[in-house]
Amino acid sequence: MTTERECDQLLVERVQAGDRRAFDLLVAKYQRRLMRLVSRLVHDPAEAEDVVQETFIKAFRALRHFRGESAFYTWLYRIGINTAKNFLVTQGRRAPTSTENDAERAEGFDDADSLRDINTPESVLASKQIAYTVNAAMEALPLELRTAIVLREIEGLSYEEISEVMSCPIGTVRSRIFRAREVIAEKLRPLLEVSADKRR
Amino acid sequence: MDMTKKTRELVSALCDGEIPDVDRELALAALDGDDGRQAWDLYHQIGDALRAGEALRVGRAPDLPPGFAQRLAARLDAELFPDRCGSGTTGAAADAAPQLGRVAARQG
Repeated sequence: MTTERECDQLLVERVQAGDRRAFDLLVAKYQRRLMRLVSRLVHDPAEAEDVVQETFIKAFRALRHFRGESAFYTWLYRIGINTAKNFLVTQGRRAPTSTENDAERAEGFDDADSLRDINTPESVLASKQIAYTVNAAMEALPLELRTAIVLREIEGLSYEEISEVMSCPIGTVRSRIFRAREVIAEKLRPLLEVSADKRR
Repeated sequence: MDMTKKTRELVSALCDGEIPDVDRELALAALDGDDGRQAWDLYHQIGDALRAGEALRVGRAPDLPPGFAQRLAARLDAELFPDRCGSGTTGAAADAAPQLGRVAARQG
């Protein structure tokens, strides 16, 4: 079995071998998580975007030194936190001192009140539309598909654990999660095409 | 199941770090095609939206601003591959993308 960490490492090795598009895949995977992390530290949306962009650029430049001794995402988050701290220092603002657990906490939204001023009206609208669409598609899913994707994406269970919970083979779990994603993706695609058109 | 769907199912399992070794090369090869790459992007976006949950629905969760990916891609395009030169950047890249360039430009 190839784990998520091993999958990231394979993409890293592709980048190290000269495949820029492999780095785009890592960006696609981690850009929103990194934005959530950085937004906890840098509250202006334009500044947070710059810090995230700078983080990816720094990671790209430093990737030749990455040997996979830590997971790619912890390495990337560390660069993100340091970049945010340096940015706040250069702006003459106090860098948060308790960022050690930010990488993990960034995955949650328990203190979402403090994030209210992060977004521009345009990104808020786009995010809301995506969230509503995903939520509506989820609600319409057959129960076994909804259960499988919730256990995976929200509860973070492995396929093996989900197969135990749902009393079905791992292959069925894999198929249910895929089918759930396909149904949601089908609803989401037109929305993303409209967003892309607006940017042109 | 047609081949395209089969490929996307492999990408789905790859997103979860649940790809059997026997399918690994096939799944990675799928990421070289447009269909596989789009699936990879979409599946991660769906996962992020689900985890963001209620906060995203009421607009309290930070999200990427429109055009983020294009701006980052343009900056990455200006970069040389790190293993091909010492610093990993070109003069052009340094000029085009100074530290935290967008804010600097805005302030200038």
